[in-house]
Amino acid sequence: MKLAYYPGCTAHGSAVEIDVATRKVAQTLGVELKEVEDWNCCGGGFLDERDPVGHAAINLRNLSKVEKMGLEKMVTPCSVCLHSHRLAVHKYEEDPVLKEEVDKRTQGTTVQYSGKANAEHIVWVLLRDVGLEKIKAAVKKPLVGLKVATYYGCQMLRPGEVMGFEDPHSPHSLADLVAAVGATPVTFPAMTYCCGFPLMGSNEKGGLRLAYNIMKGARDAGADLLIHPCSLCHLQLDVTQVKVRDMFSLDWTMPAIYATQLLALAFGFSPEEVQLGRNAAEVLRQKGLI
Amino acid sequence: MKELDKEVKVKVKRFSEEKGTWWQEYTVKVDKYTQMTEVLKRIKEEQDPTLSYRASCHMAVCGSCGMRINGAPRLACRTIALEEVDRTGSDTIVVEPMDGYPVLKDLVVDLTDFYNRMYKVKPRLHPSEDVLKGKSEHRLKPEDQSRLWKFAQCIWCGLCVSSCPAVRIDVEFLGPAAHAKGYRFLSDPRDTSFEERAKVLIDSAWRCTYCYMCYEVCPRDIEPVEAIKLTRTYTTKFGPTGDASSFGERHSKAVEESIAETGMLQGGKVYVKTYGLVNSLISMIELMKDGKATKLIMERQKKVRGIDELRKLLGEKQ
Ligand code: SF4
Ligand code: SF4
Ligand code: FES
Repeated sequence: MKLAYYPGCTAHGSAVEIDVATRKVAQTLGVELKEVEDWNCCGGGFLDERDPVGHAAINLRNLSKVEKMGLEKMVTPCSVCLHSHRLAVHKYEEDPVLKEEVDKRTQGTTVQYSGKANAEHIVWVLLRDVGLEKIKAAVKKPLVGLKVATYYGCQMLRPGEVMGFEDPHSPHSLADLVAAVGATPVTFPAMTYCCGFPLMGSNEKGGLRLAYNIMKGARDAGADLLIHPCSLCHLQLDVTQVKVRDMFSLDWTMPAIYATQLLALAFGFSPEEVQLGRNAAEVLRQKGLI
Repeated sequence: MKELDKEVKVKVKRFSEEKGTWWQEYTVKVDKYTQMTEVLKRIKEEQDPTLSYRASCHMAVCGSCGMRINGAPRLACRTIALEEVDRTGSDTIVVEPMDGYPVLKDLVVDLTDFYNRMYKVKPRLHPSEDVLKGKSEHRLKPEDQSRLWKFAQCIWCGLCVSSCPAVRIDVEFLGPAAHAKGYRFLSDPRDTSFEERAKVLIDSAWRCTYCYMCYEVCPRDIEPVEAIKLTRTYTTKFGPTGDASSFGERHSKAVEESIAETGMLQGGKVYVKTYGLVNSLISMIELMKDGKATKLIMERQKKVRGIDELRKLLGEKQ
């Protein structure tokens, strides 16, 4: 299976482990990821309000490249990139005034978007196109005994009419993946709440408070660590977790790892190969899984 | 029983001041048209007169029947019982009061907090003196009308506020419904209280976390988060009115600049532009404790080769 691949700025920058693990998982499962040539940023969730036309235009630039590759699915590991592209397509199709403006801007550029290509989340592709049976068959080291909180966050789920993969109020895609690699999925009420990342630029304390709610929710539900589906959740829950711990004087951690990092571990890759964080590695060691 | 009739179980989270909280189950016959308000009505009329809930119009107009149905914030009158059975694959429909408001009895919650938020944005038009004195008429261009229409459809049901995470953690945030309403008047060319409205709305708009919960749950497709995004754009013209808007505006501008400069989002640079060098260094030192700082410093990002084309797409004058 060949798919266009859009890592997104963060998976190419400060959360490179997401890119690394995603490629390993795809390779193991026989999915060929062809990186979109010279892709650009999706707007990071902030550009659309400042420049709705520009936002749609630059997202369509990526998708038009996908069409030129002869492909339709542009798979990304980042929920914000996913959201941005899908929302751009949605608005372009729904809003004739915006469409006209966007078409004006793309005139005389290489951007030619027919409406066929769209962004897909790597989790959707794993479940729908690869399938759980194939994933189960690729497991070399079942993660038995590991309690994994499944954190979905926002942008992969909502708005449901634009994302369209699963019920935004009771998702189970991540739980299905966790169960497939032999670990125990842990659900918790905050699993569809915001991680706080989008607040970090305007109300940092508020952002950290939301991150705390997720970590605490996972902990109260008895999880050893949590998995998430988004590069920006990764920055918030992994990289910035130390700030949350400072703010709330916590003496515990809740390691947050990307969904494909968990899969790759079960497929037999070492913690170093998937660039697993220190705290997560410690948990796996205690459980005797590495 | 008619051929199409089915029995469903309804599990209601009940509450009274005297007895506290308990769960109660009822069995009700429904057909494919039966709304959840009708289900509750049958329970109350035929089985248990002590059950309390609110409903009036049964057609998504009065806004009184907001509750949680199988975990989702919904209007009961817009929820068909058998569709819930299909959605969840279970014959039992779980009904709870809306989150985030004090429960008065069973499914009836106290919406005072919601109304207070709405009143803060003065939810009515403030016309000019001349219009009030009958010397001139209100005129609205069709394009303004079509822009404002969506945000004027709120039925004050409270579902969006009940599921908004920012409302829970930030007393200075007005919440989704008040922002939709506020924007509707802020950007109405007939309104005369622009400055006053801008002062109330702009800083609060930067306290939303873009989780799209309000977009998801609003039964009137109002998309409050879109109103919040539009309100933020007034910051550039009007100026920030508090910390959230001043940091936020700097941050968004830095994002925009980063994309226009390289085609990519350079997180580290954006952070420095938002918080200034000193604060960013303090953050770095904190992150170093966990060995995470190197990640932000080591960002190895390329510049998009098609940057000229990208700038054109972003509207740069050629
Ligand atoms: S998008 Fe903003 S207003 Fe809407 S529910 Fe989320 S935080 Fe609240
Ligand atoms: S914006 Fe929508 S969800 Fe919120 S109170 Fe109004 S109608 Fe209800
Ligand atoms: S009964 Fe009026 S909105 Fe549901």
